[in-house]
Amino acid sequence: MKGYKKYFGKKILWFVLTLIVAVILNFILPRLMPSDPVASITAKVAEGVTDAAAVQAIYERYAEEFGINKSLFEQFFIFVGNALRGNLGTSFSQYPRTVNNIIATALPWSLALQFPAIIVGWFLGNILGAVAAYVRKGWDKVVLPIAIFINNIPAFGLAVILLVIFAVNLKIAPVSGGYSFDMIPNFSWPFIKSVISHYQLPFWSQVLITIGGQAIGMRSMSIYELNADYVKYSRFLGIKDGKIVGYVFRNAMLPQITGLALSIGTMLSGGLVAEIIFSYPGLGTVLYSAVTSADYPLISATTLIITIMVLLVTLFLDVIYGFIDPRVKAAQFDA
Amino acid sequence: MGKAMLEVKNLKTKYVTRFHEDVYSVDGVSLVIEEGRSLGVAGESGCGKSTLALSMMGYYFPPLHYMSGDILIDGNNISGLAPDTVRKTILGSEIAYIPQAAMNALNPTAKIIRFVEDVIHAHDPKKTKAEIREMAEERFAILGLPKMVLDKHAVELSGGMKQRTVIAISTILSPKVLIADEPSSALDVTSQKIVIKLMRELMEKGYIRSMMFITHELPLLYNVTDDIAVMYAGQLVEVGTAKEMVFDPIHPYSHGLMGSILVPEEGTRGTNLTAIPGTPPNLKRPPAGCRFAERCKYAKPECFFAAPPEKKFEGHRMYRCIFGVDELRDIYKKEAEQQ
Amino acid sequence: MKNTLKNIFHSPRFVVGFIIFVALLLTMIFYPIFNPGDPLERIGVGTFAKPGTYFSMYDATSAKTETFRLADAEENRINALLTGDARTRMIDWMSRHGDDVAGLDPADTGALMEAWGRYYEDVRLSGMTNADRVYFRRLNNSIVNSATAEELLVMEEDPETGDYAQKGTISLTDYVNTKDVANVKTLPLGTDNFGRDTLRELVSAAGVSLRVGLIAGIVATLIGLSLGLLAGYLGGVADDIIMFITNIFTVIPSFVLLILISYSISQEARGASLVAVVIGFTGWTWTCRSVRSQVISLRNRDHVNLSKLSGHSMVRIVLTDILPYIASYVVMAFILQVSAGILSEAQLSMLGLGPKTTETPTLGLMMNWAMLYSAHTNGSWWAYFPVILTITLISFSLNLMNTGLDQVFNPTLRD
Repeated sequence: MKGYKKYFGKKILWFVLTLIVAVILNFILPRLMPSDPVASITAKVAEGVTDAAAVQAIYERYAEEFGINKSLFEQFFIFVGNALRGNLGTSFSQYPRTVNNIIATALPWSLALQFPAIIVGWFLGNILGAVAAYVRKGWDKVVLPIAIFINNIPAFGLAVILLVIFAVNLKIAPVSGGYSFDMIPNFSWPFIKSVISHYQLPFWSQVLITIGGQAIGMRSMSIYELNADYVKYSRFLGIKDGKIVGYVFRNAMLPQITGLALSIGTMLSGGLVAEIIFSYPGLGTVLYSAVTSADYPLISATTLIITIMVLLVTLFLDVIYGFIDPRVKAAQFDA
Repeated sequence: MGKAMLEVKNLKTKYVTRFHEDVYSVDGVSLVIEEGRSLGVAGESGCGKSTLALSMMGYYFPPLHYMSGDILIDGNNISGLAPDTVRKTILGSEIAYIPQAAMNALNPTAKIIRFVEDVIHAHDPKKTKAEIREMAEERFAILGLPKMVLDKHAVELSGGMKQRTVIAISTILSPKVLIADEPSSALDVTSQKIVIKLMRELMEKGYIRSMMFITHELPLLYNVTDDIAVMYAGQLVEVGTAKEMVFDPIHPYSHGLMGSILVPEEGTRGTNLTAIPGTPPNLKRPPAGCRFAERCKYAKPECFFAAPPEKKFEGHRMYRCIFGVDELRDIYKKEAEQQ
Repeated sequence: MKNTLKNIFHSPRFVVGFIIFVALLLTMIFYPIFNPGDPLERIGVGTFAKPGTYFSMYDATSAKTETFRLADAEENRINALLTGDARTRMIDWMSRHGDDVAGLDPADTGALMEAWGRYYEDVRLSGMTNADRVYFRRLNNSIVNSATAEELLVMEEDPETGDYAQKGTISLTDYVNTKDVANVKTLPLGTDNFGRDTLRELVSAAGVSLRVGLIAGIVATLIGLSLGLLAGYLGGVADDIIMFITNIFTVIPSFVLLILISYSISQEARGASLVAVVIGFTGWTWTCRSVRSQVISLRNRDHVNLSKLSGHSMVRIVLTDILPYIASYVVMAFILQVSAGILSEAQLSMLGLGPKTTETPTLGLMMNWAMLYSAHTNGSWWAYFPVILTITLISFSLNLMNTGLDQVFNPTLRD
């Protein structure tokens, strides 16, 4: 299969090129910010030290450790070299914690929150959208405008509204955090219970947001397919409506499955702001604190993780589609 | 005179737009196609010719609605049948359809053979897959399609192959009437000729027993159909054999259209029906008088008030105009002399 | 053209969206005329003053009074005193005290007062802190006072001697017409965490956010449109290069890029317009992709080929033979870009990466301030809810207009 080899070769080459551009952007952009985070660490450590020379010495030691006294060019290659060995550097704001450590703590929280929420929201949304496309009457006049309105509530707005209703007023869910603040993470029953109760609001707010987008997408996709020429043709050949609906939903589902994969890819960036609202201990909150404390090793690493995840999902989709979608197969014949 | 395969009597249908307006796009059409003959329907875009094709199937779903009239296939009236009966016993097996957009007529994600199975099972659930495959291979071979096409997806086929596949599937149940709606508008001229040849062959071999073409390209009709009907604003304005319609058009509209074909210098103009100045009337509110009056250079004041009836002449021919046949022939003759 | 406009205004969705949008726009234009002033001006010293009409107590004491004897005045006074929280605490006190409170409805003011008058004594019950005891003593005093008081004295301090002189009295039946009070301020949405007039701030913020959305939409549409036209029309190497750049920008999440670029510009340099340009710069890719694919399908149409054969310049062909055919599409894409731009600004501001905070308010900044000062947990709904509603309404109206246009220009969708 020469066509496939060429296809996948092209996709992988493209993946690598994009990755390089992404790494460069992730490295350069935060470092263009005209601020000196080392000075603030020095100030913290050297509190009470009056000797200017001593403070200067501390400053230089940190500058050496973070490598900021070297040129940006050198720093980049050190960064890439370390990153390839899986070392993303040391955090400024949470010194002496390593970036790896911070990300490794936060990432599972984000994944455990976003992944199930997207799956649940995707299923519910698609069922709702398909039903809506098929039923049409009544739905279109009343339910659809309401659905579009709710869908236009920004994700953080929905998060705040849920928080106020269920946590502040009804007091049936905790206001913030991933677990009760007086606990230390462990595998005991009370801790797990606390995690579950803190999980509800961020989870359902993400589910609602996903449902909205998916339902409206699935509905218009299905309506588009229902009006496709092949539907009319199949009808005039006497094929049963039930069977035609089967074709339609199968065809409408294909882009939705791509949509699911893409939203899994972008789930980390999609949930950032909602995590901040709920002070959920995930990447969003990490990024927020990194931004507020000019901690660019942490900013670079967080955004890099998010980007790599999207890149991987995109590559994965291209590979899968190369195998399953006849349309891509057909394109290989043409090439 | 052969046996009538398709007979349509005073058919009226409408479709409803998104803004809930009625468009009377087929407004009292009567026509007959006899066994072994082909009828071409020509008209400008928006004249209702595609809607006519759909209306004759006897199977209506929004936005298209049946209003009145009869459709007889081989003598059996299908216009009063329940939709599900029409679907099971008429569509595909008695009357079949080739859509305008053959390129997109096939489900992109199913293999051709699956679609053929679905079509046949809709009419005869007992047929086994092996029988269906055998039947399909035979029919595809007649149309010059290789066997492997059956196991491909529509997107893997070239334009010409898709077109043939659609013809093969539409005719697989050997319908008595085949209606093709601009079957070749998306193809180049050579492919168009091949498609038409294929359809004629199918009729000669007895797989279909009569057919109707719908097109806006007149030269195409002149070469291939036995009869030609000209449609204007939801109604037929003239019907006759292809030869009569080309050399002796009576209605001022058909005369305007056909006249231009026969003048080679103006050949490029003649391929397009919009060569007559003006635009057709809005079918949401059809005019009370003759629908062509506004664009007719011979129109008299009464043309705008009284709708002309269908008039028969020379046995089988029909036209719709208040002028007499000889009156019109004289006018055309004088015009030709003046030039 | 006229017919197209007529069709557009036949679409109920477009019309509803258009009306909402115009109403918002008119509010942004005309409200500042009725309530002029700097939207960032701090009029309150405290934070989160409740929505309502405020009048100066000082001025009220010198305003002309009328005497009214209103039957429900005393009841209202006590009801205002006894909040829901105070009522439950009173019942809690009595049950701790060992009194029979079964069947006592907290909402029944008369029965509650009667029981309280019978049982209350100034003691510290078991399980109560001293602060609790003080709380109940104060509560009881105000209840007793409100029942027995006749009038308040208004005293004035002599600046030289420090002596107090009686200036007047306020009796329980004195009423002042708000029109007679020199200083009255109506704050329909109260004040925010900085003591600013929330409504005035909101109207101004909505205007700025809309401007941010418009600039972002224009930038994104211009970049996307020109790159898409170039890639689609030229094809070949130009297409490859443009598509490579587009693919990179598509795959790196635009929000991440937005975070990185905004971060690299320092807070002081980040004006609302600059943030808008950055948002537009990261959001053009899908416009580019779709314009490109439309241009490719138009490129070989007869009328374009005719123009090419006639030797028309590329600019002319693009302007007269291609642009008019994709214009409706570009307009729809632009509307969506505006809506996305407003949302992006809000999200950036929530991350603390929005426009600088000292110049103009934006919807995102207002949201960020409200969250930083815990408006959502302390019940100050007026500081965040109207902001969410405004963002939702703007994007709702834009989306409605967009789907309305889609109905008109893409009849296949038929919904």
